[in-house]
Amino acid sequence: MYLILFVAFLYGCATVISKMINYRAAQELGTWNGSLVNYAVASILALVLLLLSSHLTADLTACVRVPAYLYAGGTFGVIAFVLSIITLSRMKVFQSTILLLAGQLLAGILFDVMIFQNFTWTKFAGVLLVAVGIFWDTKVTAGHS
Amino acid sequence: MYSLLVLLAGILQSAMISFNGLLAESLSLWGVSLVVHASGGLLLVLYILLVVREKITLRGMPWYLYSAGFFGVLLVSVSSWCVSILGAAVTTCLSVTGQLFISAVIDHYGLFHVPKVPFSPRRIPCFLMILAGIILLNLS
Repeated sequence: MYLILFVAFLYGCATVISKMINYRAAQELGTWNGSLVNYAVASILALVLLLLSSHLTADLTACVRVPAYLYAGGTFGVIAFVLSIITLSRMKVFQSTILLLAGQLLAGILFDVMIFQNFTWTKFAGVLLVAVGIFWDTKVTAGHS
Repeated sequence: MYSLLVLLAGILQSAMISFNGLLAESLSLWGVSLVVHASGGLLLVLYILLVVREKITLRGMPWYLYSAGFFGVLLVSVSSWCVSILGAAVTTCLSVTGQLFISAVIDHYGLFHVPKVPFSPRRIPCFLMILAGIILLNLS
């Protein structure tokens, strides 16, 4: 049980490390080719794992037959990817991480309010704490950087 | 200005996660990963060829930088494994703690060639506040 708690913690660390590796790749090959490396390697690996996990019987046409709007996920993903890489040279890694999380929270709240209409004050208090924490941290570090 | 762009990236990530959830209804874990990465990669290729008009080169980096794609695919399965045992709320809280921790470490030591930003203990209360907010959000 304790091990899996640690795995979840390491998972968080690994997502940031992966972003940093992509950032370095973009420095080596340029933003576009550097980003493409990530997508090329990931596509090949996903294809191999898909084939292996299904003992080579995977129906690849199923991936093409999905409704077109579902490809929007990949589109949003690649825009988010490039944005997070090109802005990393302009700010602290910590700031970048916080802002990405804040954006995700903001979207979650907006979806909740607009689509599911289940706004709660607990959520509001949570967002407020995060926002004040970010603002405060920026103030504290402003004099140091 | 740059802060707003990163905020937008976070919003887009959230939208991507929702769409991937829909995609998972008709495809397996690896199938979703393939569609997301292949369609994103295709868009990048088109953008490089038609808009940036750069030559496509994927070679010439230190070998370990090619590992990024592995992370992207494998982390998806690690996260769904954690969620299946711990639930989404606990997984998110622990993962966010890990993200904040490693980000501060990278800044402090200037890893991955970023400028060094020494860690100040005065930031700890801010960390705790952000964390408390995230825990509250995930419990509600």
